[in-house]
Amino acid sequence: MSRGFRLASEFAAAIIVGAGLGYLIDMFLPTRPWGLVVLLLLGFAAGVTNVVRATREMNEATAVPADTPALRDDEDE
Amino acid sequence: MADAAKPIEPIHQFQISDIFHIGTFGGDGTAGSGVSIAFTNSALFMALTVGAVGLFLIWGSARRAIVPGRMQLMVEMTYEFIANMVRSTSGQAGMRFFPLVAALFMFVLFANLLGMFPYFFTVTSQLIITVLLALIVFFTVIIYGFYKNGPKFLKIFAPSGIPWYAIWLVTPIEVISFLSRPVSHSLRLWGNMLAGHIVLKVFGGMVVAMLGAGAWGLASVLPLGMAVALTGLEFLVAALQAYVFAVLTCVYLNDALHPGH
Repeated sequence: MSRGFRLASEFAAAIIVGAGLGYLIDMFLPTRPWGLVVLLLLGFAAGVTNVVRATREMNEATAVPADTPALRDDEDE
Repeated sequence: MADAAKPIEPIHQFQISDIFHIGTFGGDGTAGSGVSIAFTNSALFMALTVGAVGLFLIWGSARRAIVPGRMQLMVEMTYEFIANMVRSTSGQAGMRFFPLVAALFMFVLFANLLGMFPYFFTVTSQLIITVLLALIVFFTVIIYGFYKNGPKFLKIFAPSGIPWYAIWLVTPIEVISFLSRPVSHSLRLWGNMLAGHIVLKVFGGMVVAMLGAGAWGLASVLPLGMAVALTGLEFLVAALQAYVFAVLTCVYLNDALHPGH
């Protein structure tokens, strides 16, 4: 459960930050609504990047050691 | 029904109340103006948390026996646990941040566990506290990253092995990803503690409401069982979230030590 929550929060946080930055840019520059649109999409991409990275970290943390003997496969007999 | 003057409110436990007033800063002297500074219940429990951590560590290391007693063993195991966590995620060079990581871990762990006592205030269920803790880590990473690597620290925004035509797209994504760290870092701890305590209170409130509703009182064992089970789960969450907070601190500090993935 905590793993799922971690991935969800990584994803959501990037989108929140992207949307917030886009909103700020639109407030000070005459680019409305494009700053919000573009940065929201970039935030989505950053969220996916975050999730991929977090998953890789989790996989490395629980990786199977390389010298683990392989289980015998019944199909081979 | 329960006491009409005290409705069962799951949110009430998070209310900040002044214990004693310290002073008002700024403002023009009229009532309600300026910033009021007071010693609140939140401040009291932060002080209690720090006191509990200090007492635990000082009491445990007071005897300095070669064959450790129970308290000393717990303190030594805590040290070993945090030191292994720092070494495995950010290497031997990361040990210079051991005091920071250990302080954050112990503070969050003890604050979460103290919050499990009935009627105690949960410090980490306040967003401002977790945001502050996450920002400490965030600015430590930025300041130490530039101090140690100089302009090379900016390489974390441009991972190696990216072709030149993709760099203009990857860099904004990496910047947003970097800026989102303190957000997810603080939201996770806060959300877990807040949600857990609200759910506990809701089930507790159900028991009281059902007991007051005549024959439905028999069914109140169901939410009671849920509340008991959730209490166990909350202890797990309290320890786990402190661990996750500390591990992510190490991961982020690792970027300051070794930028450029």
